[in-house]
Amino acid sequence: MQSPVKIWRNQEKLVELIGKTGTIVSWTLVRVPTSGFSEAAPYPVALVRMHGGKMIMAQVVDTSPGSIAFGTHVVTVIRRVRKPDEDGIIPYGIKVRPV
Amino acid sequence: MVGIVSYGTYIPVYRISIAEIAGVWKKEPAEIRHSLGLTQKSVPGIDEDAATIAFEAAFRALECSQCKPQDIEVLFVGSESHPYAVNPTATIVGQFLGIGTAYMAADVEFACKAGTAAIQAIAGMVAAGHAQSGLAIGADTAQSKPHGVLEYASAAAGAAFIIGNDHLVARLKAETSFSSDTPDFWRRDGIRYPSHAGRFTGEPAYFTHVLGAARRMLDMADMKPGDFDYCVFHMPNGKFPRIVAKRLGFSEQQLALSLVVDHIGNPYSASSMLGLAAVLDHAKPNQRIFMVSYGSGAGSDACIWETTAELQKVQNKRRTAQYFVRQQIEKNVNIDYVQYLKQTHQI
Amino acid sequence: MKHQPTNMNVYVTGVATTKFGELWDVSPRQLARQAVQAAMKDAGVHPEHIKGLFVGNMLSGMLGGQEHLGAFFSEELELFVPASKIEGACASGGLAVHAAFNSIRSGQYDTVVVLGIEKMTDHRPEDVATALMGAGSEEERAAGATFPGLYAMLARAHMRAFGTTEEDMAAVAVKNHFHAGKNQNAQFQKEITIEQVMHSSRIADPLKLLDCSPISDGAAAVVLTSQKSKIKNQKFVEVAASAVATDTLGLAQRKSLTELSATKRAGEQAYTMAGVRPKDIHVAEVHDCFTIAEILALEDLQFAKKGKAAEAIRNGEVTLGRAKHIVINPSGGLKGCGHPVGATGVKQIAEITEQLRGTAGNRQVARARIGLAHNVGGSGATAVVHILKM
Repeated sequence: MQSPVKIWRNQEKLVELIGKTGTIVSWTLVRVPTSGFSEAAPYPVALVRMHGGKMIMAQVVDTSPGSIAFGTHVVTVIRRVRKPDEDGIIPYGIKVRPV
Repeated sequence: MVGIVSYGTYIPVYRISIAEIAGVWKKEPAEIRHSLGLTQKSVPGIDEDAATIAFEAAFRALECSQCKPQDIEVLFVGSESHPYAVNPTATIVGQFLGIGTAYMAADVEFACKAGTAAIQAIAGMVAAGHAQSGLAIGADTAQSKPHGVLEYASAAAGAAFIIGNDHLVARLKAETSFSSDTPDFWRRDGIRYPSHAGRFTGEPAYFTHVLGAARRMLDMADMKPGDFDYCVFHMPNGKFPRIVAKRLGFSEQQLALSLVVDHIGNPYSASSMLGLAAVLDHAKPNQRIFMVSYGSGAGSDACIWETTAELQKVQNKRRTAQYFVRQQIEKNVNIDYVQYLKQTHQI
Repeated sequence: MKHQPTNMNVYVTGVATTKFGELWDVSPRQLARQAVQAAMKDAGVHPEHIKGLFVGNMLSGMLGGQEHLGAFFSEELELFVPASKIEGACASGGLAVHAAFNSIRSGQYDTVVVLGIEKMTDHRPEDVATALMGAGSEEERAAGATFPGLYAMLARAHMRAFGTTEEDMAAVAVKNHFHAGKNQNAQFQKEITIEQVMHSSRIADPLKLLDCSPISDGAAAVVLTSQKSKIKNQKFVEVAASAVATDTLGLAQRKSLTELSATKRAGEQAYTMAGVRPKDIHVAEVHDCFTIAEILALEDLQFAKKGKAAEAIRNGEVTLGRAKHIVINPSGGLKGCGHPVGATGVKQIAEITEQLRGTAGNRQVARARIGLAHNVGGSGATAVVHILKM
């Protein structure tokens, strides 16, 4: 089971990151996922330069992989990160969605 | 004075058509469209749930207001698809909004009227001076058994209303409720899909309670349907709200703006709230809105809203950010049945 | 207290590598015994000569439930000497060599064994993929990134900046399979074509199956010593440089996506330590965990100008039998020889040593006198560069 304490601690850091905009600087389409991500595969993962200057890595949602390009504008949203254990705490995290 | 300070709405982008679902079960799409008055419904992304949807709606409500997250003193989330049976959706949303710790939070369940129950409860707290402002959210990723009739309508969306006592965009002029123990639609703990009692969900359930609350409301307020500019009713399908509006004496024009069901199906706790938002997006100042929700089990909450000149400020922000219900409806991506099953975790 | 001499010269006196591949019926203990016993025999040393054991490994704990590998292998090898596991993701082997090098250089030990070892095929591929992402950051794991995914993002940035193509990357795999065919220990023995690479299934766009080094089992061992007089055959392969550099764990925190700064810094440090320049290197084993990684390595180690490595590789300029100045990955690299994670860094030292001794058989790079080994951890958070001189 993923540690609820760790999930809780990580979630504290997320508040400042939500609803912020940035542009895509590189990306890939993950077709062979790690554990917990298989139901969503294939899914795009991107490096995003936020408008504050920081860079983040996040999954790209609500888009077709073909429409991702260098410079695509995105905004950060909260989504379920990975498939939770049946009886575990649900991990939420930052993903990005094209605007 | 109590009322709406700001509001936010969120509809996931994915849509599945009635024709696509009907095709899988070898039914005639035209028949379904005719009997249920539906064309398509919204589907949540594979990583969305009632908490993330509730959050988006609430985030937008705050974004289009002058309020800071810390101003929220009470937060209720109404849903029938809370991610946990025990662990409040409300504090997950509160945490991500950055509200802090100085607020009262709770989850509400009353089938499709959980959100309006939250509105009435918070309105009471604000009117009593126990809170200056609060967030009432209705959000759902509705579940339905494959091949069942509910499959055509059960959708996903969220609507959030900041209820306060100042800078109101719509005043709550009057409210009432009609409640009874009526087993028309239910879901037992641990059971995945809800069950329903067929045609019993019509007259003894939906119509009795909506009409019951509506008539009492009109009576209490000493008003007639003609006194209103708009009406909003819970939309379990495209037919029931139209029938009940007619029976009460409201016109098609009064009802038209609210009919989100025609485009996205029934997002349960967000249904009538989204209908209200759709009306607010286009209403002018000093207009009256008659709203009656319905939740199976069963009950209806009736509210009379009166818009103010402040509404335009929120409308402008929503329009610019592409948050209008109509704009959200237009942002859509069609998916097929297999993709629908994946996204709703059924395969 | 006796004055301990410092800055001892360090020599590689014995090397051995096991077969790399899907070794279903071989256990980690057997791999270790095979590699270490052969390396010690090659060095002409016995257990009583060994003063320390350094074990490079990444996944023993996460996948096998076994940590404490220093004690584990010290017992298995009946060495009972100071021993520890050194971990730095895919640079574990190189880091183990570095730790061993430091122990001899400081004069603390005079002869030690370095064992690089990994057993990966016992486990389900998605469990291995998840464990390998232990090399990255939590943000990367939460984003659903996979190891190929990280390098795919680097590839895309390189393609945009320099016009590198998927065919350019495929040429790396083709070369390294060609080299591996000359290496009886290599996981892959057959040549492949650019077309085959281009048509292999996509793993993380734009990287395809044949752009990626495989999941492998294997071990390699080297014996390092300061006791020059005890070295057999008077073949003195000296470790002229052992340099390590680190960078941010995650790609999102890097300054550049078109280079691995840790490689640049470790490389420059190694050149300085060894008193050589890139053009003096005759043969190099670089870290081609993915085809793009070899292109980056050539540029970061200054074997090619920025944006020019792909062309050089494509034109055969670093291929056995065609190269003019330097041959890259004569063993087959990670791609062709296989990549048992903790073993790779040690195997690279073994390969370079054989090259300098002139015992590399049909992989031999003519007149190789100075060689370089480059080992990277994660997506570039750790880089280890060794330079060996004959």
